[in-house]
Amino acid sequence: MFSFSRRKAATVLAAAGFAVAASFTAAQAEYPEKPITMVIPLGAGGSHDLNARVITSIIPTYLEQAMIVRLTPGAGGQKGTQEVANAEADGYTLLFTHNYIDMLQQHVETLPYNPNEDFIPIARINYAPIAVVVRGDSPYMTMDDLIAASKADPGGIQMAHSGNWGALFVPAAQMMNALDMQWNLVPYQGGGPAMQALLAGDADVTMGFPSTLSGQLDSGAVRVLATAGQERIYDDVPTFGEIGVEGDVGFMHRVVLAPAGTPDDVVATLTAAFQALAEDRTFTRMMGRLGETIEIIDGPAYQAMRIEQNGNYEVLVNELTSQ
Amino acid sequence: MIDFFIEGFGMAMRIDTFVVMALGLFCGMLVGALPGFTTLMAMAILLPISFFLEPIVGIPFLLGIYKGGMFGGSIPAILVSMPGTGAAVATSRDGYALTQKGKSRKALDMALFASVFGDTASDIFTILMIFPIALLVMQFGPPELFAVLLMSLIIIAATSGSNPIKALIMMLLGLWLASIGTDPLGGVERFTFGIFELKSGIPLLPMLIGVFAIPEVAKVVMENKKVRQLATVMGERLTFREFGASFRTVCRSTVIGTSIGIIPGLGQVVAAMMGYSAAKNASPTPEKFGEGELEGVAAAEAANNAVNGPTMVPLLTLGIPGDNVTAILLGAFVAQGLRPGPQLFEEQGAVVFAILIAMVFANLMFLAIGYLSIPIFSRLVTIKVSVLIPLVIMFAFAGTYVFRSDSTDLLMLVVFGVFGILAKAAKFDVMPLVMGFILGPPMEYAFGQTVAMTNGDMAGFFLGERWGATAVLMASPFIGYLLWKRMQRVPTD
Repeated sequence: MFSFSRRKAATVLAAAGFAVAASFTAAQAEYPEKPITMVIPLGAGGSHDLNARVITSIIPTYLEQAMIVRLTPGAGGQKGTQEVANAEADGYTLLFTHNYIDMLQQHVETLPYNPNEDFIPIARINYAPIAVVVRGDSPYMTMDDLIAASKADPGGIQMAHSGNWGALFVPAAQMMNALDMQWNLVPYQGGGPAMQALLAGDADVTMGFPSTLSGQLDSGAVRVLATAGQERIYDDVPTFGEIGVEGDVGFMHRVVLAPAGTPDDVVATLTAAFQALAEDRTFTRMMGRLGETIEIIDGPAYQAMRIEQNGNYEVLVNELTSQ
Repeated sequence: MIDFFIEGFGMAMRIDTFVVMALGLFCGMLVGALPGFTTLMAMAILLPISFFLEPIVGIPFLLGIYKGGMFGGSIPAILVSMPGTGAAVATSRDGYALTQKGKSRKALDMALFASVFGDTASDIFTILMIFPIALLVMQFGPPELFAVLLMSLIIIAATSGSNPIKALIMMLLGLWLASIGTDPLGGVERFTFGIFELKSGIPLLPMLIGVFAIPEVAKVVMENKKVRQLATVMGERLTFREFGASFRTVCRSTVIGTSIGIIPGLGQVVAAMMGYSAAKNASPTPEKFGEGELEGVAAAEAANNAVNGPTMVPLLTLGIPGDNVTAILLGAFVAQGLRPGPQLFEEQGAVVFAILIAMVFANLMFLAIGYLSIPIFSRLVTIKVSVLIPLVIMFAFAGTYVFRSDSTDLLMLVVFGVFGILAKAAKFDVMPLVMGFILGPPMEYAFGQTVAMTNGDMAGFFLGERWGATAVLMASPFIGYLLWKRMQRVPTD
């Protein structure tokens, strides 16, 4: 009995000693020493969710720790964003969001956090340029036709979008501003239903990302009239630049943010891991299969873009809401 | 077409397809049975696995999770009155009443048979009619959706109980609760009193568990019987005769569910309720519904599973996902190099048919998996009541919390639990409340879209361009009145 309890005591002691030793080495050890949570302020099954599933299944190779996706939808993305804003700035809670939630919402609503001061960008994963789409049998053969028709009949053209201040609404609004025309903006619950409205004839025009369009394009069900940016995506389709819509219009950037105050070495580790994804063959193959690009840029470079977006969106919202 | 079908049939006959499908079905059922865990989450997490499998293996795996999860949701609904999704609400009504009578096995068997029948029939119908359905889907826009949702609410209120005034009061309360939060169209906050937690509205899960499970727990506790009867028996299995007696109901619900599946944006909740209401209306003894009628379980389950077939149509023919589940499937298709859309059938027709045929076989396989699993699940109610009740309470709270890790939801659970207990005491049915709450937001959204589409000329728009929606709107009050009158007629014998 005595010997038994002594052995037990010895075991306990050894275990305790090991735990202390482990925690001591852990304190010395490099970040990350436990799994990292990546919060998505959106629901399950969306394109952000799919992107995140691919990222989190590959990035452990470089971080040597698991990365867990936590979906926190609600209040148009504010719920998840607030959660990360309030989280400890230790690099164990990250936010995977996009530029409209990140930079535009502050001009539309009162937020329970300050996006400019509460976050620092870690990496932009990729971005998607939007395309202006009409039905295959639409009378508008070119963007000029559509613009002329829109100016001739202000509000007569029905434009289906994926929700107010969302990825289709904002470029449409920016376009209306830049080209001095008026569309009747009708909200749908997502890009899919908006596309269906176009195909069914309820809407005259909508927008979509090329990765989701190819099936419709190949069959001739839809026609692309213009694409975002300065470089042509389709050989015979003009860019926003060519039709007179300049600037960072119509791009959805998927970005990873961390709470402000995250230590520099932690930021450096995370940055290196995200940069490494671009070279990872499994990652590029899986993203390619999803039809997503990989255009990783680091935090400081994206921060400059955030500041520009902030200014642009402020002007846009002021112009739209003052009417 | 026929040769694609035959080729696809050959492709689907693979042992690894069947093995992963069985795995998906079983895992899906377990996940679906746990309140708070959704099949959607399970599918999203397991999606990357499918990237590494062949299309004819990976996609049936995901479909298995989905189908297993659908049935899984009805297990807690029947056993402990804890529907984890809106689709299981109608099932829990008669299902839990049967459990209380000691017939939980019969209820689970009926749910399984009706689900599998409804799903299989609608899948086969979809395979045969995929292109006509694709054309039909296009006829439904926001005005039609609004009209059908409004009609559904009227039918639910009219058929829910003997007192339509009480049902209407509860439904209006549900509609009001649904309006709390941020207005989905204008972005204006309503009834939030500046509380951030209310900004995204009241979540569904705490309400479902609160108003359905908590009052039943409270009832058992307050009655304080030494040995609760139901706790000792799980009863016999369903007989073939009993299924035969409900067969008409199952068929009716399958037709209703399939039709509702064709209308984009309606979904399983409406299907289950409409199937249930129709069965109640057609029954010679409508007053028995809600008291433990096997037909009630059959009606709800056949209808909500029959939605599955047609919801695949916009995904396959247009490449447009109608909901989150089909969005994940779209991801799986695309990752396999299959681009759903008009050309998919021309280029990869055999693969598409192989997947659709695998879907039908998944149903048949689930019949066996479910049948063998039911005795294990129904053992739950044989646990001693002093253990079962704390377990149910634990699952109620844990499930609510795990859903989105928000402690406010626990508070909501308690509030709705107390509300449910009071409503039960005052003999108010909570079903119309929940249906108003679930169907209110899509109806409001569809109405807002319609207003935006009309450009100000509402009457002209409806009468001139949308005669289908107009007809449904005109007919709704009469249908509601006739159903109510029928419900009032108590059999004389």
